[in-house]
Amino acid sequence: MGNPIIFLLLAIVAIGSAIGMLTSHNAVHSALYLVLNFATIGVFYIVLNAPFIAMVQITVYAGAIMVLFLFVIMLLGAEQLRGVTDVHGGERFHRAVAGLLAAVLLLSSALLLFQSETPAATAPMLDTSPTALGLHLFSGYVFPFEVTGLLLLVSMIGVFIFGKTKKRGKDA
Amino acid sequence: MNAYGLAPLLLLFPAVGVLFNGLFGRRFVEADAKVGERWSGWFASLMAISSFVVAVLLFFTLQTNEFHPVVVPIMDWISIPAADFYVPWAIRVDTLSVTMMLVVTGVGSLIHIYAIGYMHGDPNFSRFFTYFSLFIFFMLILVSGSTYLVLFVGWEGVGLCSFLLISFWFDRKNAAGKAMNADAGRKAFIVNRVGDFGMVLAMFLMAWTFRSLEFDTVFETAVEMFKTNHIVQFGLFSAPISVVITAITALFLLGATGKSAQIPLYVWLPDAMAGPTPVSALIHAATMVTSGIYLIVRSNVLFEIARESGPVIFGVISTPDLVALIGASTGLLAGLIAFTQFDIKKVLAYSTVSQLGFMIAAAGMGAYVAAMFHLVAHAFFKALLFLGSGSVIHGMEHGHHHLLHDHSHAEDHEAVFDPQDMRTMGGLRHRMPVTFWTYLIGALALSGIPPLAGFWSKDEILAHANEHAQVVYVVLALAAVCTAFYMGRQLHLTFFGAPRHAAAEHAQESSRLMTVPLIALAALAAVGGLLNLPFLTTRMAEANHHHPAGVFVGLESWLEHSIAAFELTEAGTIHLPHTPIVLSPVVAGISTLLALVALGGAFYIYRNKPETAADPDPLQRIKPLWWFRILPLETFYMKFVVPPFKWLADWLAFAVDWNFWHDFVHNNIIRDMFVSFATFLADVFDKFGVDGTVNGIGSLTKGLAGAIRRTQTGFARTYALGVFLGAVALLVYFLWVLY
Amino acid sequence: MPEVTIDWYIALSVILFTIGSLGVLLRRNAIIIFMSVEMMLNSANLAFVAFARYLGDLDGQVLVFFVITVAAAEVAVGLALIVAIFRTKKSINIDDMNLLKG
Repeated sequence: MGNPIIFLLLAIVAIGSAIGMLTSHNAVHSALYLVLNFATIGVFYIVLNAPFIAMVQITVYAGAIMVLFLFVIMLLGAEQLRGVTDVHGGERFHRAVAGLLAAVLLLSSALLLFQSETPAATAPMLDTSPTALGLHLFSGYVFPFEVTGLLLLVSMIGVFIFGKTKKRGKDA
Repeated sequence: MNAYGLAPLLLLFPAVGVLFNGLFGRRFVEADAKVGERWSGWFASLMAISSFVVAVLLFFTLQTNEFHPVVVPIMDWISIPAADFYVPWAIRVDTLSVTMMLVVTGVGSLIHIYAIGYMHGDPNFSRFFTYFSLFIFFMLILVSGSTYLVLFVGWEGVGLCSFLLISFWFDRKNAAGKAMNADAGRKAFIVNRVGDFGMVLAMFLMAWTFRSLEFDTVFETAVEMFKTNHIVQFGLFSAPISVVITAITALFLLGATGKSAQIPLYVWLPDAMAGPTPVSALIHAATMVTSGIYLIVRSNVLFEIARESGPVIFGVISTPDLVALIGASTGLLAGLIAFTQFDIKKVLAYSTVSQLGFMIAAAGMGAYVAAMFHLVAHAFFKALLFLGSGSVIHGMEHGHHHLLHDHSHAEDHEAVFDPQDMRTMGGLRHRMPVTFWTYLIGALALSGIPPLAGFWSKDEILAHANEHAQVVYVVLALAAVCTAFYMGRQLHLTFFGAPRHAAAEHAQESSRLMTVPLIALAALAAVGGLLNLPFLTTRMAEANHHHPAGVFVGLESWLEHSIAAFELTEAGTIHLPHTPIVLSPVVAGISTLLALVALGGAFYIYRNKPETAADPDPLQRIKPLWWFRILPLETFYMKFVVPPFKWLADWLAFAVDWNFWHDFVHNNIIRDMFVSFATFLADVFDKFGVDGTVNGIGSLTKGLAGAIRRTQTGFARTYALGVFLGAVALLVYFLWVLY
Repeated sequence: MPEVTIDWYIALSVILFTIGSLGVLLRRNAIIIFMSVEMMLNSANLAFVAFARYLGDLDGQVLVFFVITVAAAEVAVGLALIVAIFRTKKSINIDDMNLLKG
């Protein structure tokens, strides 16, 4: 499942960009870190014999979605939150709990991973070309595919409604 | 025909009468005295008559069913399964109880009707009939109960009615301003308590010894225990069954002396004459006072066992012998006292005590049938005599009113006129012929002149006594002489000679309502002997043997089915064969002769005396005889029994009850304790405990709500943290479970 | 040289997920929270694809396909929401949206 050196390099980039996203004060920086993160994960997809998904990841995620993010950030001028630097007791407690939970999550996962002896992948390389993937999708997942289509339609209508500004009347 | 099922109706009718008169009677009478009295009186009478009809039906039912006693259950009264002790309320229909029912309801009905006339115009007319019906109700419970406890309920109930009716005119006061009627009622009640105390103790003993109070069970167990010489355990003590049964019967005797007015408890009955005359006739002559005899006759098995046990009481005498002695001496003593009375009803009262003595003596000698026979006959003629005396009193009152009204020279007469004083009477036979003739029949019957009822019944007792107990015979014969003498004296003072008072001159015959019952009772008193004619009974008893169902041929064979005339043997009890009473010519002749002589003597002594109301009685010259007027026992009680009791009562009332109990215990201990406890409750418990709890719950809820409210920050990130917490917890959980 | 096993990918996926969830919990900028959610989805996607490779099964990739579609829809709606909220509140601070406060 790939070269360990490449894996480690990519993993460092992915984790570093994730931490960067988390810690950046500027939302634009965060978005850019996220783009990097998504791109790294797209590389992982290629390594994992999923070229089509990797392409989708790059185009849809790193491309379209993140552009949307950046667009909104800049539209709203929300690079930084204004005047919210107070860190009171409740916030501190909140952070402590969140950190504790994250630590528990990581530790327990580590415990789980170090205890198990998983053999290396023996499965054969599949044909993961868009043709094969499309055949698989439309032979076994037609109904979920249709539902997804409906979901997109609904979300589109929802966005229209949210985005509509009340021009007539002031009854809102 | 089978009318056993109707037995509860016997009790229902008088109960309805009580309810009717108790609830509506007063309103009826107050609305319209004439119509209301008619409704109130006749309704009560109708109820009594209905009960009588039921009793008659039961009588015939017994005949067609070969006199088999039947117990008709009404309800379970007391049931204690743990102790295996049950007291049902059931009606026992046997020849003995039906005899009593017939007497109670039959004579009772006649007296009810008479009372309508006698009580006419009384403002408490309906109250009187309420009590009267109540009395019939309780008397029927007494005679119909199948257990001693139910009998005791009736026993107490009739005692209550007796109290209520003696003090019926409780607001009347005598010249000295004392409420004599109320006092008399109280006296009767209190004296009866002494006897009831004996009854209660006897029942405790029975319940302990026999584990039952039902007649049949008690008798069977008693015979069984006596045969096996059972030893009864009383905790630490033990006593042979013969002693226990002697004690029970002796306590019964105490109860009977109270209710049936025997030595030493007879003192209440003469005072009970303060009540209206129908009450004296029904309760204090015909029915209630005979319940003591009924009790002894009913318990004849126990008394016979006591007789077999021999002289257990102080090693001197057995209970039945004591019963006979007490009865006989009461008969004589009361007969002597009756000589000295001027009150027409008091003479009859002492006569009743005396005749009850006859019955008690007969029962004590084992002549149960004779006792019952005399009871029935006595009910007839003594009720008749009382009603007759009531009629005389009515006539005298009428004459007195007449005087006051017409001549308005009331000041000529003494301020207080006593219509019951025989010295003011005389010559009434012309003024009140019906009363006179019926009274004459009653008096002759009581004196024992053949062929009237009293002759047969009294003679049966005398014949039995002559055969079995000579001492008793002599005493009773003397008592019979007394009877004839005082009845002659009364007859002469009341109806013969010349009127000694203007009221007697203007006396008037009573109304039809009163004379008709008199005539009916006179007829019964005349032919009552037919119930148990000696020769008739023998003849028909033989015929009866071939009759499949049984026919009433006389009390002897009739009561035989209820009275266990048995003999105790090694093998058990044997019922004695029917022994017919044979008329003893010698005894009968002697008593008839004595009665005639006494009657004639009385008429001779009183032929012209006293000439005026103020004259002394001719007998007053015989000092020893007059000594009886001081009422020996009464004086004794008033001198030696009452003062200590009064002192004790005063001490209890003032020292114990008032000073100690009320002032000290109530005020100081109980009240203070309560006050301090209440203060504690109010100031400490309520303020801190109750208020604290309630307020605490409130503030706890409030605080908790405030704390929980703070978790609802409204910040999406807090909720997200919650979700994350749940997710991690699930993960940890799965790790723990799966690995 | 150790071989890269599925465990490595799972570890990376868990780390990224944890970082994403910390972003959701700690940051107050609604847009960054959104981005963190996207990263959590991506970490799951990574695990899916790794498992698809490990098990030799295309279903994992198909599922990632669906996830990406849903994520796109979600981002569209979510960003529209943020814009709408910003229009009334003049803020995208998530703590200003506390109408649920008890």
